[in-house]
Amino acid sequence: MRVNPYPMQDLLAELNQTQLAAQKAMIAISTGRSVNSPSDNPAAAALEVQNNDLTSFNEGYLQNLTTVNGQFSAADSALGSVVTSLQRAITLGVQGATSILSDSNRAAIAQELTGIQSQVISLANTSYQGNYIFGGTATGALPYDANNADPSGVTYNGNDVVNQVAIGSGYQIEVNQPGSKIFSASSNNVFLALNNLIVAVQTNTNVDTAISSLSSAAGYLSAQRVFYGNAMNQVASQTTYLNTAKLQLAQQQNSLVGVDLPTAATTLSSAQADTQATLAAISKFSQMNLFDYLR
Amino acid sequence: MSGLYGSLSIALSALASSQQALETTANNVANANTPGYSRQRSVLEPALPVNYGPLTFGTGVVISKIESLRDPILEIQLNQQTQHQSRLDTELQQLQQIQTGFGSASSGIGADITKFFNALQQLSPDPTNLALRQAVLTAAGNLATDFNLSATNLQTQGSNLNQSVTESIGEVNTLTAEIASVNQQISYLENVHQNASSLVDQQTSLIRKLSSLIDVQVIPTDQGISLTTSSGAPLVSGGQSFALSTDLASNGSERVMSGSQDITNTLTGGSLAGTIHIRDVQIPGMLGQLDQLAAGLSTALNTANHAGYDLSGNLGGNLFVAPPVGGVGAASGIRLAITDPTLLAASTDGTPGSNGNLATLSAVHDQGVVNGQTPLEYYSNTVFQVGSTASNTSADASAADQILRQLQDQRGSVSGVSLDEEAANMVQFQTAYQAAARVVSTVNALLSDAVNLGLGGTMQ
Repeated sequence: MRVNPYPMQDLLAELNQTQLAAQKAMIAISTGRSVNSPSDNPAAAALEVQNNDLTSFNEGYLQNLTTVNGQFSAADSALGSVVTSLQRAITLGVQGATSILSDSNRAAIAQELTGIQSQVISLANTSYQGNYIFGGTATGALPYDANNADPSGVTYNGNDVVNQVAIGSGYQIEVNQPGSKIFSASSNNVFLALNNLIVAVQTNTNVDTAISSLSSAAGYLSAQRVFYGNAMNQVASQTTYLNTAKLQLAQQQNSLVGVDLPTAATTLSSAQADTQATLAAISKFSQMNLFDYLR
Repeated sequence: MSGLYGSLSIALSALASSQQALETTANNVANANTPGYSRQRSVLEPALPVNYGPLTFGTGVVISKIESLRDPILEIQLNQQTQHQSRLDTELQQLQQIQTGFGSASSGIGADITKFFNALQQLSPDPTNLALRQAVLTAAGNLATDFNLSATNLQTQGSNLNQSVTESIGEVNTLTAEIASVNQQISYLENVHQNASSLVDQQTSLIRKLSSLIDVQVIPTDQGISLTTSSGAPLVSGGQSFALSTDLASNGSERVMSGSQDITNTLTGGSLAGTIHIRDVQIPGMLGQLDQLAAGLSTALNTANHAGYDLSGNLGGNLFVAPPVGGVGAASGIRLAITDPTLLAASTDGTPGSNGNLATLSAVHDQGVVNGQTPLEYYSNTVFQVGSTASNTSADASAADQILRQLQDQRGSVSGVSLDEEAANMVQFQTAYQAAARVVSTVNALLSDAVNLGLGGTMQ
């Protein structure tokens, strides 16, 4: 059979192919990605959208953990101070219960107790990043105002709503305890017990009863503090989990669309060799024909 | 038998034939690089013999014809493959343009959806924080902008294709007019028994050019050839061409008309068919998907925002301007309904610190908003579709290209000019010419001998 005397088109198409392969390999190496447009690997490109979503959410959860952890430790340390203050109040109450005290001594003790009362009110009004953390979701107003007309000596302005924050896919934790549950629970009202103790010491009546109800309220409050301890433990373990997940997602993303450098480098160098060979073939082609020999 | 003069005439016929054959060779060499040229060959035949008694004497050589070497079946296959390849090439080019809008996982609509829901999550520990609320609105605004941008890009691409339909029709009409005129010249030459070979080459290349634009069927007739589209719309009949026209349809797309008949959807090959396929099928399909996603997502988020209370304790309103009923145009029209970050309904009970409704808004992330698919599932399916359509078309196009090149190789092996061959022919005819010239000089010597017979010496 007669051969095609002009294979130039074939050679040029071949050159185009090898140059395309070299270009693809070069883009892959320079971007670090084997999938640079959806047609390179449609399934991987689609999965990468999901992977990107998970990775981004993972990052978001980690940020949320930092935020709520700050709030948890602020709340925990406020409650720690409250417990210390209440213990001091109980000690003072026990002193006040001693019968040998004079009226003026009791008045002094009562005054110190009043100081502790305002200290506890101020701790119950602790805010974190501008929000009062013991007011339920009524974060804009002071949760507790001093109010002498009330038997507990305070008014609660908050509500008893608890917020939840997602710290993982389908994993929500409660982020606050309302004051109505910690400080002014109906059976163990810290403020009522404290105010009763002040009155008891001032009037020297039923001091023992007041002390025992304050210690029971203080015990209840300590128990509530466990919530924050637990929450901080959850935060710590979820942080570890999310950091592991982050690595796994990065690995997954890399295996989906990342470039395998040795393979890409080999592809590049073989494509370049092909290109050179094709160029050499083109330059050799038509260098001579029979006319050259007919001199 | 005609004696020495007979020999002289035979030698002259050899001289003339060799000269003509050399001319053919020269013409082949001259056209070695002319696209569409088919090599020619001088066909030598012995001249009619004369009978003299029982003997038969040859009278030399004649060139009976100069033939062009071409394979008509191969030309038809080349036309068809050109139509196929040209359509796929056009489609691939356009699909690659479409897929750039869906190319990145870290930007574009998919990433915007992620960023929006992530911003909602970030707001949940601190729902009164205005900066974080603003971040949610900004993310929502970016999402809307990217929907608009993607839709606009697709629409622009569609209207560019519309323009290119009109241009292609113009080119088709120019080519069919040229082919008709070449047809006329061919039939004129053939009527007077002249060689129309180079015009046939021209006709073949024009039909090939036409094949890259539109599907063409070549029908041989008594008056030369007729061309129709594969569905039978006439393009050329002998020396007459039939111009196609375009007509602006109510939906703004240019229809291809043959006379009063709309042949837009019957075109199967050539770049025109590819352009129309992308314009009428791929782009509207993609826009429809974006519209559905934009409509489904914005409706679900609006419903969720209605369920809660804003920072001032009022019931929430629309987050996005409500999409049109049926969703058509949702992607290009989607935009934020609110600019005040306090209007984001984060609260379930009207207290500013409540974040309960943020969970409702966030839940849209995992909610079926289009055909039971979550926003990102739907979007990643779209990415998959765009990618696999482009990748399949790319595979088809390179296969079609391979076949086309093989056919071109075959055509080259039949019709291409080989310089080696022509050099060999040249040597052959040169030698034949030299030999015939030697015969002439020998006959000349003999004739002068005959003239000088009896003069006792050679003629001076």
